[in-house]
Amino acid sequence: MEINNVREIINEQLINLNLKASTKKEAIEELTADLYREGNVINPKKFIADVYYREEEGQTGLGNHIAIPHGKSDAVKITSIAFGRTVKDLKWESPDGEPVHVIILFAVRNVDKTTVHLKLLSQVAMALADDDTLNRLLETNDKTEIIQLLSQEMK
Amino acid sequence: MNIVGVAACTSGIAHTYIAKKKLVTTGEALGHNIHIETQGTIGTEDKLSKEEITAADVVIIAADIKINGMERFKGKRVVEVPTSIVIKSPKGLITKIATDLGLS
Repeated sequence: MEINNVREIINEQLINLNLKASTKKEAIEELTADLYREGNVINPKKFIADVYYREEEGQTGLGNHIAIPHGKSDAVKITSIAFGRTVKDLKWESPDGEPVHVIILFAVRNVDKTTVHLKLLSQVAMALADDDTLNRLLETNDKTEIIQLLSQEMK
Repeated sequence: MNIVGVAACTSGIAHTYIAKKKLVTTGEALGHNIHIETQGTIGTEDKLSKEEITAADVVIIAADIKINGMERFKGKRVVEVPTSIVIKSPKGLITKIATDLGLS
């Protein structure tokens, strides 16, 4: 595992533990703004449209107050994720019908289908299969721990 | 029991891999042998071998889209579910399959 690749996928600048958003739409916009600021997304409006295209295809709530919206888009420059958390109850389509507090927004480039980044993203997804991990993501205020939790399946 | 399966979701980025991991973790915790292939944006990974398919008591297709290579499972017991079912209740799913097959 290349540590530099992990840091391109997720880093402290892409973790926001105090989202201002009070709706799903605002949360996606706020995290997209973080990705834009860091240079990972070059066209926020187009990226958000592609995220919503995916939302139409099925729910991105995982249950346990976590959601993973994602967009495959020409507007993405660097395949990466933005992590956001809020104490507010966000209404989100989820299998358990519970409100969402943690949003992990996946930004994926349309090209380079076999990049290392895409492999790392799949390993982030695998980390989210563990309920204890989800519980820590809802609780910890330590950004280093969040990065460790999300990268635990990377080999 | 011996389980093989394929996981695949609409965009092939996240749900595919969460479903695979949940099936493998839960299946192994319940004492089963389990191999799950993923068909995602990155391509096919952990491709099932002929031997694994032959030895399987059941095939679980956890998919939101049409998967490639369905003909490999001709003559096998195949359970098809959306990835959401696996993500929500992997234990319930595998336990029910084992009970239905009389292999629990």
